[in-house]
Amino acid sequence: MFEYLNQTEIIQTIVTIGSMALLAVGLFGLLTQKHFIKIFISIATMEVAVFLFFLGNLFHKDLTAPILTKAYLDVSKMNDPIPHAMVLTAIVIGMAVLALGVSFAIEYYKLTGNTQVDKMNKMRH
Amino acid sequence: MIGLIILASFVGIVVVAFSAIVQNTLADAIILFMGVGLGSVILFFVFGAPDVALTEAVIGSGISSLIFLMALKHLKSQP
Amino acid sequence: MNLKRTLQTSTLSGFTLSAILIVTFLNILLQNIPSSVQRVGDELLKLNTTDGVSNAVTTVVVFFRGFDTLGEIAVLFIASLGIGLMLNENKKCEIKAESNFMLKTASKLLFPIIVVYGIYVMVYGHLSPGGGFQGGVIIASAVMLLLISHKNFELSHSVVVILETFAGISYVFIGLIGLLILDVFLANFLPHDVSSMGLLLSGGIIPIIYIVVGIKVGSEMSMIAQDLIKRENDV
Repeated sequence: MFEYLNQTEIIQTIVTIGSMALLAVGLFGLLTQKHFIKIFISIATMEVAVFLFFLGNLFHKDLTAPILTKAYLDVSKMNDPIPHAMVLTAIVIGMAVLALGVSFAIEYYKLTGNTQVDKMNKMRH
Repeated sequence: MIGLIILASFVGIVVVAFSAIVQNTLADAIILFMGVGLGSVILFFVFGAPDVALTEAVIGSGISSLIFLMALKHLKSQP
Repeated sequence: MNLKRTLQTSTLSGFTLSAILIVTFLNILLQNIPSSVQRVGDELLKLNTTDGVSNAVTTVVVFFRGFDTLGEIAVLFIASLGIGLMLNENKKCEIKAESNFMLKTASKLLFPIIVVYGIYVMVYGHLSPGGGFQGGVIIASAVMLLLISHKNFELSHSVVVILETFAGISYVFIGLIGLLILDVFLANFLPHDVSSMGLLLSGGIIPIIYIVVGIKVGSEMSMIAQDLIKRENDV
């Protein structure tokens, strides 16, 4: 059974279904939770799901990490370095936007005092 | 062997993420969110991307969780 | 009928639409990519053996797509600016309880080790996995450790401002020097031979730019952490 799970098509199917399931869990949390910190946690979970999907579909068990040394210069057996650079940028920017959003949420709590999104309907506090 | 590791990690991540959302206390939810970050570090390493794994390990458990915990501290004090 | 009252039409149509969308989505996504397709990174990896450094991801982030890194630093700066503006600096948040003796001693012992590790990851970013972002955030997490265990520890505001300004200006300055010498913004104007791949002094301006990025990111994250821990709100 271990040899059956090591083929490339099976691993790509597992990665697709797994990351889509994580996205669905994050979406469920975004739509049904009432506390606004839990909404931020759901958004961060959805971002992790997208990064896993992006890097998982390029997996092949013969390719290694894209680092050249003097003894190992065969570039046809290395991973693609461009998606790594894109995910690096996206992780850092996602964290920065999350920090800004959380500081807005703290400011709103100190002004009005409620933490449930159901009661955020009034125009003036 | 690698396929089994990937399958077990995905199952673990989905279960931990679902239990992080339906908690009642907020501190438990934040700590379980750190578990999601740990599982994703293992998966990034198995996919052959050590730079991304290092970045996600430091940011996901160092900075991001500290931001949520400081929000919890400000929310506990009464206005 | 009772059935019509319990099953609203909106719920039923919602379920049908989501089922159709999920089936379509999975049908498109589950077609596997054949492993002999030409990737966009093949050309760049061949170009990396003559023009870049050992770590291919560092070459892509700093040299081939260096302008995107400049935009990312701008986004981080705007986020740090927003957090600093929202929280009032006149009221300080008082921590009332004194920390444990074990916590204070252990954090004072761990702080230099973490800082040295962060500098190592930052300087060797072009030879092994690592780089400026990772090293900078590791240094910021060491500062965070001291901030939450000691009551009176504070970074002085002017030192952090000077470091950040210096790092931000020198990134653009290096790009402009490349524009003057070689007619391309962010060109590699220092000598970079292919025979020195794997040594510490290799790759031209790529290690210098990554160290500058690391200084800027590290100081910004420390200021964000100190704002969130020490400041009270603007009420």
